[in-house]
Amino acid sequence: MLIWMWIFHSGYLRDYLSVCVMLFPFSLQDTTAYPYQFQDDPYLSPRTSVEFKLFSLSQESGRSAAKYFINNYPKFFTKDFAEPHIPCLMPETVSLCLEEVSEEALKERISLRKVTAAADMYDQLLQAGTEVSLETTHDLLDLICLYGDRDPVQDGEPETEDMEESGEEPKKRKGRVRRASDIIKSTWKQNNNAERIFNLLPERDTHCYSALIRGTVLHGAYEKAFSLYTDMQNNRLSADIHIFNALIAAAPEVRDKYQEKWDVINDLLKQMSQQKVQPNLMTFNCVLKALRRCGSLGKSQALQTLSEMKALQIAPSLASYSHILAIFYKPASAGQGNTDVLQEVIAELAGTSFTCQDPDDVLFFINAMRICLDNKDLELGYQIQSLVEVGENWRLLGDSFQQSVYYGRFFNLLCLMEHIDVVFKWYRRLIPSVYYPNPQGLRDLLQALDTDNRLDLLPTIWKDICTLGHDNKSDLVEELLALMARDGHSHEVQESFAACALDIKRVYDENRGKPSLEWSNSSLSHVASLLLRANKTQHAWDVLQLFKAKNRVPHEELLGEFLSACHRDGSPQKAVELVHLSTAFCLSATPNLAKRALAEFDLTEEQSYATWNDRGKHSSRISSE
Amino acid sequence: MFRLLFRTVYTARNSSVNVNESLSLLAKCDKANCTVPALRVSNGGGLRALSTNSVRLCEKKNESVTANQDEETKTDAEADPKETKTLVTQEADEDSKVIKMAEQSEEPLVSKADDGGSTTQQHQVDVTTEQDVVTPEKVETDAAMSGKESLLSLLGAMKVDVTSKRKPKIVKVKQSEFTPMSRPPAMESTISMFQQATAEASSQRRMSRAPVSLGLSASPTVFFSEKLDPELVAAASAAASTLPNSSQAESQLLKQLRQHEAVTEAQKKGDVTKDLGLIIADMKIGKHSNRQNARPSNQIRFDEDGQGYTHDRGITSELDSVRRNIRRNLFSGKRLNIFARKTDDGADSAVARPTLWDMDFAHQLSEVTNQMPRNGLEEMIQWTKEGKMWQYPINNEIGLEEEASVSFHEHIFLEKHLAEGFPQKGPVRHFMELVVGGLSKNPYLTVQQKKEHISWFRDYFHQKEEVLKEADVYLN
Repeated sequence: MLIWMWIFHSGYLRDYLSVCVMLFPFSLQDTTAYPYQFQDDPYLSPRTSVEFKLFSLSQESGRSAAKYFINNYPKFFTKDFAEPHIPCLMPETVSLCLEEVSEEALKERISLRKVTAAADMYDQLLQAGTEVSLETTHDLLDLICLYGDRDPVQDGEPETEDMEESGEEPKKRKGRVRRASDIIKSTWKQNNNAERIFNLLPERDTHCYSALIRGTVLHGAYEKAFSLYTDMQNNRLSADIHIFNALIAAAPEVRDKYQEKWDVINDLLKQMSQQKVQPNLMTFNCVLKALRRCGSLGKSQALQTLSEMKALQIAPSLASYSHILAIFYKPASAGQGNTDVLQEVIAELAGTSFTCQDPDDVLFFINAMRICLDNKDLELGYQIQSLVEVGENWRLLGDSFQQSVYYGRFFNLLCLMEHIDVVFKWYRRLIPSVYYPNPQGLRDLLQALDTDNRLDLLPTIWKDICTLGHDNKSDLVEELLALMARDGHSHEVQESFAACALDIKRVYDENRGKPSLEWSNSSLSHVASLLLRANKTQHAWDVLQLFKAKNRVPHEELLGEFLSACHRDGSPQKAVELVHLSTAFCLSATPNLAKRALAEFDLTEEQSYATWNDRGKHSSRISSE
Repeated sequence: MFRLLFRTVYTARNSSVNVNESLSLLAKCDKANCTVPALRVSNGGGLRALSTNSVRLCEKKNESVTANQDEETKTDAEADPKETKTLVTQEADEDSKVIKMAEQSEEPLVSKADDGGSTTQQHQVDVTTEQDVVTPEKVETDAAMSGKESLLSLLGAMKVDVTSKRKPKIVKVKQSEFTPMSRPPAMESTISMFQQATAEASSQRRMSRAPVSLGLSASPTVFFSEKLDPELVAAASAAASTLPNSSQAESQLLKQLRQHEAVTEAQKKGDVTKDLGLIIADMKIGKHSNRQNARPSNQIRFDEDGQGYTHDRGITSELDSVRRNIRRNLFSGKRLNIFARKTDDGADSAVARPTLWDMDFAHQLSEVTNQMPRNGLEEMIQWTKEGKMWQYPINNEIGLEEEASVSFHEHIFLEKHLAEGFPQKGPVRHFMELVVGGLSKNPYLTVQQKKEHISWFRDYFHQKEEVLKEADVYLN
C-alpha cells in the first residue's frame, strides 16, 4: 500500500492503468492458493479439473442469468445510481423498437443480429419498392452469411439474447464441445436467404462476393465457394484478402491428392499476387494449416512459406509455429528422436510476449509440450515453460481443459526425467494454483518417488491425494499401498507408513457405500503388513478380521508375518487364533503354520491340541478334495 | 609351426578388420567377450610385428603395397622418427618386456573369461611377444609406453562397449583412435628393411595373400582367397586340437574364416558401406549411447523401450535432408517467391469500417484466450477498462467532460440573457431577476438548459403580453 501511495502522489504517473500494468509483474502468484476467481468463496475451492470447470461455469452462468434478467426486464432497473453513468451496468436494448417498414428498422435488426427478422424486413422493403442503401445490403449479407441464415445461438453474449431463442435451443448451450459440433452441423442450404438476396441484387461488388464466399466456406459448402469465385472472376471483379483466405482454408477440402491440394493453394497465392492483394498473417496461417493435410509435401513447402512470411515482414504468430510443429511431428509416429525443428522454433521465440492473433494460437504450447514428452526432452520442456511465463503468454494456454493438458504433460515429463527434488519443487509450484493432477499424474509422481528411492515421502503424497480428491481411485490407492509395503524401512518411516495406512483404512471404511473403493486382497494384505511392521498388532488384527468380512483370503506370507508378530509379543493365544483363522480360509500353509506355532510357542495342552486339530482338519480337507 | 602360422593369420586378419571383427565376435559368441580385448591388445601394442608380417607376405606376393600403407602407418605410429638402427635391438628387448607387462595387466581380464578362449588369447599374446623378439622391431620404450597406455584405454573402453549396445558411430570413434600420425618418409626405409628381414623368416610359410589395409575410411577391406585354403583349414584344426573342447573351437575358427571370406566377397563387389550396414544389422547391434552428442532423449529412449537400430536409422536418413535444412535456420531456406515486398499503402485497410466478420473474429480470439484475472490488481485493471471503477487519481469532475469547456461565468452571470425580450423594469423584470438568481446557483443544470429555461419564460411573457398590458404591469 505504501508503494501505491507513493506512486500516486509522486506525480510521475498520472494514469491509473499504467500504474497497474507497471505493478503487475511484482504481484507474484501465490502458488499455494487456488485461482483468484475462487477466493471469494471458500466453498468453491476446486480440487480437480472437473470441479474447476463446474465452479467456474456456475460462476459464469450466475453472471449470465443476472445479465439476462436485467436486459429483459429493464423496467425494474430504471434507477441509475452511478454518477458518472456506467453504461455496462445498465440494461441494454435487446428487443426491437421500430415496427414500421423502413431502412432504419432493417439496420436495427442487423445490429441486434436478428437474422430472419432482418431478411423479412428486407423483403418487405423490396416489395414496397424502397431502395436499400448498398452499405446496409452489405451488412445484411454479412449477417446472413456469418450465421448461415439462421438465428444465432448467443453464447457468451447474453446482452443480445432474447426469450424465444433461449427457449428454443436451451440444450445447445451446454458446453464447448457441443457448440463445436453445432458449427459442423450447420450446413449451407441451397438457395437460402443469402443466395436469394445476392441473386436479386442489381449489381454485385466484391464485398457481396466476399460475404457469400466466406459464408459458404464457414458453413462447409466449399465447392460452392469456388464456383462463386469463378463467377466473380468472370464478372471481372478483383477479390479481396478475405476471399483468398477463405478459399485457401477451403482448398484441402476440394481436392484429394496432396499435390493437387498444394497446386490449388499455390494458384490462389499467385492470383493474389497478380491482383495486388497483400497477404496477411491469416493468409499464411491458412496456408500452413492446409499444408498439415498435404502429407509429405508439407515439410518442404511449410519452410518455404515461413521464409516467404519473413521476406514479407509478417511476423508468424504462435499458430503458424503450431502448424509447423504439427507438420513435422505427426502424433502417430511418436518417438522419432529429433527435436530440431522444435528447438529452432523455441530459439526463435524465446523471451517474446505474444498476443492472440489467430484462434489457433492457443494450440501451440500444448502441441510443443506433447512433442517434448514424446521425445523426452526435458531441456526443451523447461524452455517452453519459461516461454509461457513471459508476459501475458499464459493467457494463450487456452481454456482450463487445454491448460490442464499442458501442465499434465509438463509434469509427466518432469516425473520421467527429473530428479525428485526438482519434481517436488514444480509440484509445489503448480499444484493447486494452476494444475490439478489426474490420477495418472499422481501415479507418475509415485513412480518418480520409487525411482529416486524417496518412498519416505509417500505419506505426504497421500495427504495431497486426499486434498485433490483422488482418495476414491482404487488403483491409485492400491499402488500407493503396494509401494509402501514393498520394502522394509527404518523405524520412523515405518511408523509414518503405518499411520498413513490407518488413514487409508479410515477412508475405505468411510467410503463403504460407494462402489469405487472396495477392499481388495492385496490392499488388505498391504495395510496389515504395514501395521505389523510398525508393531501396531492390535490394528493389524482388526484388518485380519476384515479379510473374513470382505470375503478375501490373506497371503501365506502375511500369516507368517503375523505369527512372527505374535511370537514377538509373546501371545500364544493369538498364534492359536491365527492357525484357526488359517484353517477357516483353507490355506495350504496351515500345516506349516501349525508346526511353527507348536515349535515356537509354549502352548498349553488345550491349545496344542486345537492346533494339531487344525492341522489335521486341513489335511483331511485336502484329501477329501 | 602350424599353430604359429594360424595365429599369425588369425591375428593379422583380425588386425585388419579389427573393428568389424570384434563387433561380430561380440555378437556371435560368448568367448568373444574375452577375445576382443586381446585383439585390441594386439592392435594397440604387440601385434605390430604380426601385422608387419602380413604386410611383408603380401609384398612377397607382389601385391600392391599402397593398400598397406595405412596399416604400416598405424603399426609405426608411435615410433620415434629419429630412432636409429643402432638402438633397435636393445629396444626391441625392452619393448617385448613392456608388452609382457601389458599382457600381464590384461591377464586378469582374460582369466575371467571362458577357458578355451582365454587360452587362445594367451597363446596369441605369446605369439606377439615371440614375434617381437624374433623380428627386430623398432619401437622405442616410450612409444611402447604410449602403446601400453592406449592398450589400457582400449581395455577400459572395451568394458563399456561390451555392456552397452553399439551403433556404427562407435566404429568411427574407434578407428579414429587408431588414426596414425603422419609418418615421416625417413621411416619407410627402415620399415621396408625390417620387412625384408622378416620376409626371410616366414618365406616358407605358404599363405594366401592377405594384404591388409586399415585406413581412415570406414570400410576396411580384406582381400582374401575365394575358397578357404585346405591348408588353412588343416592349420585351424591343428590349432583347435591344442585347445580343450577342440571340436567346438575348430568349428568356431572355421566359421570365423568363412565369415572373412564372405566379407571379402561382398566388399569386392563394391558398395562397402552398405555391406557394413548389412553385417552390422545382421549382428543385431543396437545403438550406442555415446555421450558427446547425446542428448538425454536418445539415451533414455533406447534404455527404455529398446527401439531397434534399423527403425531409428530409417527415420534419420529420411529426415536427414530436411533436418540439415533446418539446422541452418528455420527461415533461411528458399521462399515461395510469389509476393513482392510490400510497398507502403496500408491506407485502404485502415479506413475500412469494422464489419461483422471482424467483430466475430475478435470475439473468437477473446473466447479462446484465458481472460480470467489472476489477482486483485488484474481484476481492478479489468474493471477500470469496463468503466466500473473510478479512474485514479480521483477527479470529482469525471464524466463532466463536455462541461469542462464551459467557463464558470456563463453559469453564474445570466443577466445578459434578460437584455432581450424582457421589460426593463416592473414585476416581470423583477420575477425574471429572481429566476436568474436561482439558476445561477443551480449546479445541476448545464448552461444550455439554463438558457432554455430563460427563453421559455420569454416566450411565455410574450404570449401573455396583451393580458399584462391590460393589467398595466408590463412596462416596456
